[in-house]
Amino acid sequence: MTEYNSESASVLTAVHDGFEPVTMHTPLDTVVAQAGVRRRRRRAMTAVAAAALTVGAVAYGQGSTRSAKLATPSTVAPPVHIVTAAYTVDSQPNGSVTVTWTKQGYFQDPSGLQSALQKAGFPVLVKVGEFCKGPSDDGYLDPSGVGRGVEHVMQASTDSNGQVVFTFDRSALPAGNELFIGYLSPAQLAITHGAPGSVERLVPTDTTLTCTTQAPPSHYGTRG
Amino acid sequence: MAALWRSRGVEQLEFADFYVDSRDVCLRAVLASVVDLGLAEDLVAEAFTRALMSWPKVSQHPAPRAWVVRTALNTRVSWWRKRRNEVPLGVTAYLTAVAEPVIEVDPGLLQVLRQLPRRQREVIAVRVFLDLDTRATADLLGISEGTVKAHLSRAIATLRVQLISHHQAEVLP
Repeated sequence: MTEYNSESASVLTAVHDGFEPVTMHTPLDTVVAQAGVRRRRRRAMTAVAAAALTVGAVAYGQGSTRSAKLATPSTVAPPVHIVTAAYTVDSQPNGSVTVTWTKQGYFQDPSGLQSALQKAGFPVLVKVGEFCKGPSDDGYLDPSGVGRGVEHVMQASTDSNGQVVFTFDRSALPAGNELFIGYLSPAQLAITHGAPGSVERLVPTDTTLTCTTQAPPSHYGTRG
Repeated sequence: MAALWRSRGVEQLEFADFYVDSRDVCLRAVLASVVDLGLAEDLVAEAFTRALMSWPKVSQHPAPRAWVVRTALNTRVSWWRKRRNEVPLGVTAYLTAVAEPVIEVDPGLLQVLRQLPRRQREVIAVRVFLDLDTRATADLLGISEGTVKAHLSRAIATLRVQLISHHQAEVLP
């Protein structure tokens, strides 16, 4: 800021100093993990595109009309459209499941949500106030309560009404695993201030899980 | 494959240093431009994610911080165009967003900045936080040097008046 006269410089310094307390809260791990997910997704899409080109070339070469049949997954859950006061569950043509819920509806019907997701073809275990993990899970959770690999199967956004929209990708779930969602109870939320508000982990389906009522530590107001 | 993993490891170490050194400055620049703390944090996180994905290119950029800020500001435009009212978030971002964001900057200063046109805010942000000269600012924002000078001059004139009146309102009973 050496090009300015003293009055201009003082204005710019005031702006500079006023922003001095502002610091980034997003942990490095989150950025690295997100980039990793996108790299894998990009590689997968490249592979799918290459496979589609191959299938297309074969179909074209044979003059076949089987390409539409080849694109259909071998095991597809029946379409599901469920609407309750707490959430909606819709299975999508690509095999993913879209869940929309209101923040108010968060705790209204966890067992119903579990049932609806399972009907839509997405294996999930939902609990409130209890947090489970598989025997080989090292217990890692990021500050948001998310365990390893969850970001591959679960994406979130908010719509214009403030409703939370989650998309669950069944195809990204490792074989023999299901998604565990453990909502913090109201008493536990009072301690964490909503950070985290829930625990998500990938857990094996073929073994006994270890569960605890000990909520993860609060990261409210902490920096990465 | 081993060479690839070593290369990826070095990349991540370099990027980690860059992130730690630059994240706050980039956030301040983007916050001064968009005047919304939550949005600024999301945009900067997104821009750093893209920087890591293109790290071989970004690390050779003459001003990597400027690349991040430009990417964040471009992302804002593309989010607005593509999704209008829908705010994209990762799972992690949603789950931590349950708590109200902590306001760390004088709301009066944000209010004063909010009164400036977007381009003037961007010029101020780039000049103040990235310390780029007129030519580099013009290149970054895709405008002429004359336009940069005009925006800067008008922005400083407005800020001077507004900050003085804001200060007086705080001091006076």
